[in-house]
Amino acid sequence: MTIETTELKRCNVIKLEGRFDSATAPALEEAFRESMNGGVYRIVVDMSGVQFFSSAAIRALLMGYKECRRWNRGDVRLAAVPERITQVFDLAGISSFIETYPDTTKAVGSF
Amino acid sequence: MPPFELCVRSDLSQLAKISEFVTQSARRAGVPEADVFDIQMATDEACTNSIEHAYSGNMGEVRVCCWVENRTFVVRVTDFGKQFDPTKVPMPDTEAPLESRDIGGLGLFFMRELTDGIEFHSDKEKGNQVILRKRIQTGEG
Repeated sequence: MTIETTELKRCNVIKLEGRFDSATAPALEEAFRESMNGGVYRIVVDMSGVQFFSSAAIRALLMGYKECRRWNRGDVRLAAVPERITQVFDLAGISSFIETYPDTTKAVGSF
Repeated sequence: MPPFELCVRSDLSQLAKISEFVTQSARRAGVPEADVFDIQMATDEACTNSIEHAYSGNMGEVRVCCWVENRTFVVRVTDFGKQFDPTKVPMPDTEAPLESRDIGGLGLFFMRELTDGIEFHSDKEKGNQVILRKRIQTGEG
């Protein structure tokens, strides 16, 4: 599992790769917190390299989503979500809330 | 297919190993790839429950056993920690707005939604068992 944060003018891009389960989800929460501590609340999560995303990872994602959107200060948008993960998001009922884009460029451009 | 069994210590770092084990077992049993992912997900949630709730930080053992019966792939997760009562876990409201949503109970929800059957058993000697079943779709209807 790797997490890489890139700072852009409009937003931060958090690129996720590998397996996100109960053991690794805290690192995702930490990545959101680091961006927010740096005053950045507009975040694109690049999901293209994600192989597995459990309910614990979804909780971490939703924590970031809620915190970033508090007081209308920002948003979390997803890019390149693999098909299997999209199905899991559909099941959890989060696809209709979180804005999702086919690739990172489009997601960054949406801010 | 003979039953395959894996025993690991109750540590979240073992989840990746468990995933790899059920993935390989399901593939050997001829489970289609999309269903392998569902099994991987449901098993991960069951094992997370054992590690986080049944043992709640105490060291113990989690056993994962896979086999095929009646064209169904079966995964049994066993722990010897606290008994788990699935009826006490509220179902998540997947329709509620995210801002107001209580996101607990999602693991059990996935276990139910991604399998074709789930059973919970508790026995002093045999431990707590979660049995997950997924029918093997052969494409012949």
